Amino acid sequence: MKNIALGQYYPAQSPIHRLDARIKVILAILYIVCTFLCKSALGFAVLALSAILLILLSRVPLRTVFRAIRPILFIMMFTAVFNLFLTRGEGDPLWAWTVTPKWTMQIFEEGIYSAVFMVIRIVVLILGTSIFLTYTTTPIALTDAIESLLSPLRIIRLPVHEFAMMMSIALRFIPTLMEETTKIMNAQKARGVDFAHGSLIKRAKALVPILIPLFVSSFRRADELATAMECRCYRGGKGRTKMRVPHLRFGDFLSVFLMLAFGTGLVLLNYYGFGYRM
Amino acid sequence: MATLTLENISYVYGPRTPFEIKALDDVSLTVREGSVTGIIGHTGSGKSTLVQLLNGLEKPTHGKVMLDGVDIWEKPREIGKIRFRVGLVMQYPEYQLFEETIRADIAFGPKNMRLSEEEIAYRVKEAADFVGLDPLLLDKSPFDLSGGQKRRAAIAGVMAMKPEVLVLDEPAAGLDPQGRDTILNGIRSYGKKTGSTVIIVSHSMEDMATYCDDIVVMANGKVRLSGTRDEVFAHAKELTEVGLDVPQITRLALLLEERGVCLPGGIYTVEAALKALKPLFQ
Repeated sequence: MKNIALGQYYPAQSPIHRLDARIKVILAILYIVCTFLCKSALGFAVLALSAILLILLSRVPLRTVFRAIRPILFIMMFTAVFNLFLTRGEGDPLWAWTVTPKWTMQIFEEGIYSAVFMVIRIVVLILGTSIFLTYTTTPIALTDAIESLLSPLRIIRLPVHEFAMMMSIALRFIPTLMEETTKIMNAQKARGVDFAHGSLIKRAKALVPILIPLFVSSFRRADELATAMECRCYRGGKGRTKMRVPHLRFGDFLSVFLMLAFGTGLVLLNYYGFGYRM
Repeated sequence: MATLTLENISYVYGPRTPFEIKALDDVSLTVREGSVTGIIGHTGSGKSTLVQLLNGLEKPTHGKVMLDGVDIWEKPREIGKIRFRVGLVMQYPEYQLFEETIRADIAFGPKNMRLSEEEIAYRVKEAADFVGLDPLLLDKSPFDLSGGQKRRAAIAGVMAMKPEVLVLDEPAAGLDPQGRDTILNGIRSYGKKTGSTVIIVSHSMEDMATYCDDIVVMANGKVRLSGTRDEVFAHAKELTEVGLDVPQITRLALLLEERGVCLPGGIYTVEAALKALKPLFQ
């Protein structure tokens, strides 16, 4: 329960921490685009290098960063295996195994490349977004940023503020809910529930004593929060001012420029790059 | 019946992260068999962490928790058995109720122990009796009960497992005076009737003085004072140092003594004060 990397802000002093949250959202999107611009071996090498550079720049310890990868290890392996065996190449297969007369498993050179590329792409995708968003930006700053970035949509009557408020409440209560879950789990463990052993059905059944109290307390909490908000005269976003008004600085513009340059560089590498191309 | 001993216990939250906190620092303690022991301390003194170590919910970073001279973590796979022997009632236990009826909820623990139906039925009745829960309430849903009744039902749920050591974290927090007295009386009578050791965590000196035999005072993750009630309350000055106080009635008795009223020592409850003061007016 203690190791879930979700909204895991890592407090530190780094150039990335100092960036404006809105810029970080934009940078994260641009970075995702960048991962899809890569088409050559050199491009992927540069991409992987850039991710390492970002980690170092953010001063978040490697151990913490790689915790974000752990949940997607399975998907990564799955994609790698599929790419490895299902990619058809032009040359002779490097390895072949006739399972049945009609079906042979083959590995081509291209398959190896695309498996490695896919893994790099997924890892960089996750690392990039978690470095820009979860690890270096507080959830509050993040929702403020999203509200600000979506504010043009107010013209088409989209309740942007309400969305942002819902999101920040949801984010705010994740740790509370996790704490509550741990507490209830401990209480039921003290009454002899065993979550770790037994058959799948038995373990699923053991969740009932957790889920019911958790639901009950969530509803109670939501009700209390609504009352508390009403007591403080909350009435939506109309005419509401901000306590922290963000300002863009030179570093923010520079970072966007660098990211755009990086993307352009990757596109250029596709044309002049060496090695295998996708 | 069982003796619980802590040997040089330390516990660190979030080791090797920027959020590292040392909650317990070299705590050694022996809880007398069959006693009602109060653990008292301020918020953040480490008392809630300590109780979670007692039944093996958490493993101490250093040190040992000994139950009848055996380390409870000697066989980590059998920690579940320890949890039946050391019953823990957490803070605000009413939030853990989940069954359709109070009866089924109290029976949950004994059922996990795989006792016979008759034994379970008997234990539910007995536990409800200890906490003063009306038998008519047993077939109601937890949602139909008041806060105090729910609290009692939750405590009964742990008592029904008949643990040799019953540990309660702030069992009376947030209750009205009457509800508090009912619950604490029930807990004490459970300990005395079954011969079990009872450990109550609280920050109310008044409650501790009334219901406990022994008292342990914690501050900043360490044991500051421990001993019988009389021994601990004799150190009024040290108690004030850690931000706690002797019971109000004891303070009154001390002030009276300062002004020349002759009183027997060891006045910790209103009843005792009444008994000592009454003759002076006659």
